[in-house]
Formats: sequence, C-alpha cells, structure tokens
Amino acid sequence: MATDKSNPNFDQVDWDDIASNSGRELSTNAIGTLISTGVLVAILLYDYFIVPANSATFEAVGWGYDVIPLDYMFAFTLILFGFYAVLPLYQNPRMTRYYWKEFRKNRPAVVSLIWLIAIFLLGVLGPLFISPTESELFRKYQPPIWMTIDQNYVIECVGTLAGGACAGTWQHPLGTTQGGKDILTMIIYGMQISMKVGFISTLIAVVIGTAFGTVSAYAGGMVDEVLMRYVDIQQSIPTLILYLLIIYIFGGGLWLLILLLGIFSWEGMARYVRSKALSVTEEEYMKATKISGASSYRIIRHHVIPNSASSIITDITLLIPAFLLAEAQLSFLGLGDSSVPSWGQLISAGRSDLSFAPWIVLAPGLVLFLTILAFNFLGDALLDALNPEAETESE
Amino acid sequence: MGLEWYITRRVAWAVIVTFIIVTLTWALLTAAPNPQVSQAATQAALQGGDPAEARERARELRGLDAPLHERYIDYVTGVYTLEWGWSESRNQPVTEALLESLYYTAQYSVPWTILTILLGPLVGIYSAANQYSWKDHVATGFAFFGYAIPNFFFGIILLLVFGVYLDVVPIVYNTDVAVFSLENAIQLVLPVFVLVTGSIGGTMRVSRNESAEYINADFVKTATAKGVSPLRIYARHILRPTMVPLSTTIVAQLLYLFVGSSLLVEVVFGIPGLGQTTFQAVIAQDTSLVLGSTLFFTFIATVGNLLQDVVYTVLDPRISFDER
Repeated sequence: MATDKSNPNFDQVDWDDIASNSGRELSTNAIGTLISTGVLVAILLYDYFIVPANSATFEAVGWGYDVIPLDYMFAFTLILFGFYAVLPLYQNPRMTRYYWKEFRKNRPAVVSLIWLIAIFLLGVLGPLFISPTESELFRKYQPPIWMTIDQNYVIECVGTLAGGACAGTWQHPLGTTQGGKDILTMIIYGMQISMKVGFISTLIAVVIGTAFGTVSAYAGGMVDEVLMRYVDIQQSIPTLILYLLIIYIFGGGLWLLILLLGIFSWEGMARYVRSKALSVTEEEYMKATKISGASSYRIIRHHVIPNSASSIITDITLLIPAFLLAEAQLSFLGLGDSSVPSWGQLISAGRSDLSFAPWIVLAPGLVLFLTILAFNFLGDALLDALNPEAETESE
Repeated sequence: MGLEWYITRRVAWAVIVTFIIVTLTWALLTAAPNPQVSQAATQAALQGGDPAEARERARELRGLDAPLHERYIDYVTGVYTLEWGWSESRNQPVTEALLESLYYTAQYSVPWTILTILLGPLVGIYSAANQYSWKDHVATGFAFFGYAIPNFFFGIILLLVFGVYLDVVPIVYNTDVAVFSLENAIQLVLPVFVLVTGSIGGTMRVSRNESAEYINADFVKTATAKGVSPLRIYARHILRPTMVPLSTTIVAQLLYLFVGSSLLVEVVFGIPGLGQTTFQAVIAQDTSLVLGSTLFFTFIATVGNLLQDVVYTVLDPRISFDER
C-alpha cells in the first residue's frame, strides 16, 4: 500500500477539477465541422435572402456558378467526410502508415484508389469551372478522336472530312450526342451527380444504420426484437420495384432518389453495428469503462462506433457502387431525373443510335463500370488492411 | 422442438412479413393521388364539363369513395383470394397478364439458375485448388468483371457486337418460336449469359474463399493419406462443407438479380417477361397491374429469403434449433 501514500486520499480529490477535464471540450474535428457548417449555413442564408431569385449565387464576385439546394447537402457531407474520415488519418500518422503499408500490397486497389480520387476531384471541381455543354444541332454525332463516322449521319463535320467519313477532333475528345452536346463535359457533370448520389445516400444510410444498430444492442429485450424484426421486413422488400412504385407515384427527382436509396439500404449496416456492439459490451475494458461511470453516449461514441468502423467502411464500399448502379438503372429506364446529366441518362439517350454512334453509350457505360469495379477492389483491399482477423479467417 | 418447429415458425414469420408489405403497398397507393382520377378530371375540364363532378364519378366507379377500413379489407381479401383486378393497359385480368409474362421470364430464368448453381461452385473450387496461380487470377478477374459490369450495359454491348456487327443473334425478340427450338435457344443465349456473369461472380468468390479453408483441413489430409482420388476429395470432402454457406449466397445472388437487374435485361433484350410488364405498367399508369407485379415480386422475395434461411439450417447438421 505504499503507492497510495503518494496519491491524494479519496476524500481529498478535487472532483470539480476532474469533472471539468472529462473530455467535454470539443475536439479539433468537431470545431472544424462546426465552423465549416456555419460558413455553409451563412452562404445558404445569403443565397436565400440577399441574392435575387434568378441570378447565380456568387455573381457579386463575378463567378457564374449557381448553387442548388442539393449542393448544400453535398457540401455538408463533404465537410463531415473531411473532418471525420480524412483528418483522423492525418492525426494518427502511425496507423495511417500501417494501413497504407497493408493497402499497398494490393496493386489493383491502389490503381482503383487513384481512379476514384481522380473521379472525385474532377466531379467536385470540374462543374465549378467548366461551363455546361450547350446543345448544337449542327454538331450532332461527332465521333471521338480515334473514330470516324459516315458523313451521312453528321450535318457539319468539326474534324477533317476524308473519303466520305468524318473523323473526330480534340474539340470533342469523346464525341457528341444526337443533340450535339459534348460527351466529355457531360461525363464530368455526371461524375458530380454520381458523387452526390454516392455520398449523400451513404451518409443517410450510415446515420440510420448505426443509430438502429447501437440502439438495438443497447436497449436489448423487446426494443431489440422489434427493431431487428423491422430490419428483417425491410430486407424482404424488393427495392428496385419499390423505387419504381414510389417514383411512379411521386415523380422522379434526384432528391427523392437519393433519399430512397439512403433509407432502404442500411439493414446490413445496422446488423453489423449491432453484433459489434454486443460483442464489445462483453469485453473486460468495457466493464471497466462502465464501472468508472462512462455514459451510454460516451461508450457508443468512443468504443462501439470506432470498433465497428472497419465493417462500416467495408459496407460503404459495397453500398456506393450499388447506389450508382441503381441511379443508372432508373435513369436508363427513363424514370430518373431527366434534368440532371447523369451517366445513366447519357446511356439511355444514346441507345437508339447504338448501331452507328456507339460511343454515346460506351463512354459513360465504361466510366460507370470502371468506377464500380474500382469500389469493389477498394473494398477488398480495405477489408484486408483494416481487419487483419478477417484475412486469417478466410485462409 | 426440432427442425419442423423452426421451419414452422420461419414460415409463419414469412406470412406476417408479406402481410405487412402488402399493407404498406396499399397505404402507399392510397395516400398517393390516383392518376386515373385526375386524368378523368382533366378530360372533363378539357371537354367543358365539371372537373369536380368527373372526379367524384371516377372515384365512385373505382370504389374509392368507400370508407378506408372497408377498402382495406376488400383489398386484403382480394390479394389473398388472387383477385388482383383488371389490367386496363393490357385488357385482361392482372393474374392472367402476370402468368403470361412469367412464361417468358421462366424461359431464361431456368437455364440461368441451373447454370449459376452448377458453374459457381465449380469455378470457385477450381480457383481454390489452383490458388494464386494464373488460373486463379483469371477466374478472380472474371468474377470481379461480372460482378462490377452493369448488367443492362453489358447486355447492350453484347447486342451491339453479336446482333448488329456480327449478326449472329436476332436483335428483336421473337415470341412466336417454340420454347424448345434452336431459334429460341439462340435468342436467349445473350440474356442468360449476361445474368450468369452477374450472379456467378459473388458465388464464385464465396466458394473460393470457403473451399480454400478446407483444402488444408485435417480431414482432407487424412483422405489424401488413405488414397482417396483427388476428384472424390473435391466432390465429397470439400464441396459438401462449402455448400452450406454457399447455398445462402447463391439464393441471395439469384434473388437480388431476379427482382433487380432481370427487369433491365428484359427491357434491353425486349423479352415480354415480368420485369418488362411491370415497367410497361408503370409507364402506362396501370395501377392494378403495378400493384399486382409489386405483390408478385414481394412474394418471390419473401419466399427467397425463407428459402435462404431454411436451406442453411437444413444443410448444416451442426446447427441446434433449440436456441433459435
């Protein structure tokens, strides 16, 4: 009992001092999120109350980009992503180096990551600076640079006309549609749509999924039973048919689609988080945390969610491609939001000209395929890097 | 308290789930404005009549003026007695329209299902047997390709290459040919191929990872030591334990594609099956048919989920039912 002597006795502990240091002060991440969100809200208010209805948001500084409501939601998602996914990697350089070492072993995944980062940057920044492509009927069906098209199909050939065939030019590297729109520009705009669909829907799914999972595991008993049975029911709903039904009733806007995708895809995540929460509660350190008086919120926030992060992240890499695919499928069926230039819209628009102008379908389709493929490789590598136990299990 | 009790409870739960989904669908359609009623009103307004009166008449005609609980009871009895109403766009009872479409859907679904069940585990085990060799990498690459390429896009490309450029398959689906004829086989090759590549990827991955676990297991070493032929080892000692988790994956994959992508594949290839019918009904705003096909897919999904759970428990003799 010699060590007790150096410590203050129990009745001499200054509890106020400890209470004020109990981690209530905000972390850098929370402060950053709050400040950025504040800026965002300020822009939103400025846009709504000061900028006249028909002019672009940043006209005062001479920038012609008009911010639409979906952009605010997207920006908010990006803020959360930045402060709670990217910044922690910087804050824990040792773990980041370890993950990177593990991740680097999987070469297809590294290539996939580069591709996805390129799509992300182009999608977020491209539309801010590249003006949307205008319809120019005289320039319809221009081929991509390495292809030619019979001159009967084009009205005006931008490139060189040789032997009755029109060749592609650098002016339209991937050709044009039947409306004369530049396909490359449309694909870059489509990237932003895909990123919005992917990010916002995922945010919705992660929030609902983790909330359901943790509440279910923590409340236990009847609440757990009811919530998990609800998850069962939702899993039995054929989602594509449900989307058809809802879009048939309410009309297909991009907002509705993003909401639907987010709301009907969190079942897997809720199950993961619940089982993780249940297994974490059994651990010794958890009992210690509980005995020392941690609140449920603290336990969930600091122990359950970080512990289930690896399965949440792996699940996200499966969810995002599913969202992109669903959006493309609905657009292809003509049930998507026809006012946004998504990849699916472009594929669906080019279908009738497939026999002589296949690039209209091929270009966006290949980009979609490569993006989905990249997410799959990424998920595979992340599973190995974040969760070494899973690897030993499968071998 | 054994298997029978578990299955009974599981089936009862499936019935409850369908009932809840049926109710939700009804609520959704009741809460939404009926397009046919508003159409009648618009028409009356265009012809100089009273839109409000026309609206009332249209509602009366469709029994929409009855109190909610009466309509609900009518609806539920209709659903369970298979009286699913009249399809206005196809001019026939909804059940008849669905059966007719099912006939075409079955023609490509049956070969697709059989091929997936046969090929998926085979390729996976082959891949595991040659782990980390070029054969494994080719098979894995193929799995990822099939898994990642959007089915409808793949269908369009194949149709372009084989239908337009090479001209070996017809571009337009012909409903007049006999089911067991060469023409029908040729026109169904592409849709079946597209769907098989879609469903085989996940199946293959799971069977590869699962069987890789057993290849170095003690009981396989024992079998090899006592001189069992390699073929028999793979068929009897590795395939059997692999099938337990794999069966769940196969059912899940088939189900996922059946209620999802097969609709797109039908639209791309012009097959007048269930998916196409659903889609046309949505376009034509044919409420009864939309509702009918939604119900049909819901039943399929519920039965599929049921099958998934039951197959898993039946195949694995180690599972104890008392705890479930």
